[in-house]
Amino acid sequence: MRRAVLFVGLLALGWAAWDTGADPVRLARGLPFILDFLWRTIPPDLRVLPSALAGALTTVEIALLGTAVAAVLALPLGFVTARNVAPAPFFYPARTVLNFFRSVDTLVYALVFVAAVGLGPFPGVLAVVAYTTTSLAKLYGEAIEGIEPGPVDAITATGATRLQILRFGVLPQVLPLFLSYILYRLETNIRAATVLGFVGAGGIGFYLQTYLRMIDYPAASTVLLVTVAMVMLVDGVSSRLRDRLV
Amino acid sequence: MIEVRGLRVVLPPDTVAVDGVGLLVNAGEFVVILGRSGAGKTTFLRALNRLVEPTAGTIRVAGRAVTGAGRGELREARRRIAVIFQQFNLVRRASVQENVLAGRLGYVRALPSVLGRFPPDDRALALECLAQVGLAHLAERRADTLSGGEQQRVAIARALAQSPDVILADEPTASLDPQLTSSIMDILRRINVERRLTLVVSQHQLETALAYATRIVGFRRGRVGFDGPPSALSPAVIAAIYGDGDAT
Repeated sequence: MRRAVLFVGLLALGWAAWDTGADPVRLARGLPFILDFLWRTIPPDLRVLPSALAGALTTVEIALLGTAVAAVLALPLGFVTARNVAPAPFFYPARTVLNFFRSVDTLVYALVFVAAVGLGPFPGVLAVVAYTTTSLAKLYGEAIEGIEPGPVDAITATGATRLQILRFGVLPQVLPLFLSYILYRLETNIRAATVLGFVGAGGIGFYLQTYLRMIDYPAASTVLLVTVAMVMLVDGVSSRLRDRLV
Repeated sequence: MIEVRGLRVVLPPDTVAVDGVGLLVNAGEFVVILGRSGAGKTTFLRALNRLVEPTAGTIRVAGRAVTGAGRGELREARRRIAVIFQQFNLVRRASVQENVLAGRLGYVRALPSVLGRFPPDDRALALECLAQVGLAHLAERRADTLSGGEQQRVAIARALAQSPDVILADEPTASLDPQLTSSIMDILRRINVERRLTLVVSQHQLETALAYATRIVGFRRGRVGFDGPPSALSPAVIAAIYGDGDAT
């Protein structure tokens, strides 16, 4: 049985390599071009630094606003998708719908929203909201399913209403987890938002794509460096905050 | 005070935890339910306020129907039936004071309470209950920073804050060091004597049961095997409650 799985797995990988034309020789032949590309990016053209920074700020704004709105929208959805608190008639349809929407990536949502509301950072925000809401709802739901039943029993036994039970028995147990998930999502959303500009949904990605198209590699490298610095900065702040939560 | 008739509880998938129990408890009694683990003590207590749903039978507590009660009626019945759990079941991340205040949830208006707003009278009562278990000085501390014995006393304060007619305690000392057993049981006895509150406490320790109970109910395989004063508990009866034999 285990051998059969291994065999099928190797077969699949072999097929995938053949089908995608994976070829070490081709990669080796391409290496000089990569080196040439890197060579041509130095020195970075610092004249574009102001626009790169402005783009980075927009990207951070898209991720921040999108994550914040999604964090709130996901709350009721999280409770509805938790097996131990949601009534069964809600639970199954909610899970199915969420799984459906979660299989669409932020970038695809961005394409849809650019078509719907036009170019700029706003469709980017909407795309982040759309994806993050469903993904946070799933994480929330799993956190709620992992709570200790004891305190919930205790609050129930006081004669509390369903809402009070959620607020006093469930929420205190899951709140630190929720905050940690929100920060984690913020980190991934910063990354996702860097490419939103490629499809016209605002932020630093717009500059990167523009300079690459203009074959202005020194300018593109400035934008890239700013992107890396921005992502590292947000990651650092966010992970420090998360450490404090647990 | 408590009227249980023909209570049967089947836990999914098909465990008969309580198998036809009838029990009348008068106001002011200190009933200890004795029995081995798995005898149905916990399930019986949890059924009394429908934390587990009875399969058959009727329950009335303090003149209110528990079985057959609608949602609102059940909440009204529950707030007069305080419960103390083996694992304390405090909300760990909340303060001691907030945990005790939770005992008032059945009385206060739901919406303000959810926003963290409680009437001053309820706050005062919560602090008073905390003082009664000797922990007023720990009101601001986070619940999970307290020792086990202290946490159980907070849980007793929470129970008192419910202004209950009845307190149910499920093995309240089983998770504590043996030397703390008497301190917790003493508090429960004081409540029983001073407030004339009816207590139903499950215990697996015979000595503790004998020392505190005004009445002992022996559980065996989901049924009542003995019901009487501690003085009537003969070695033969004890053997029947704790024994491995199939005789019932």
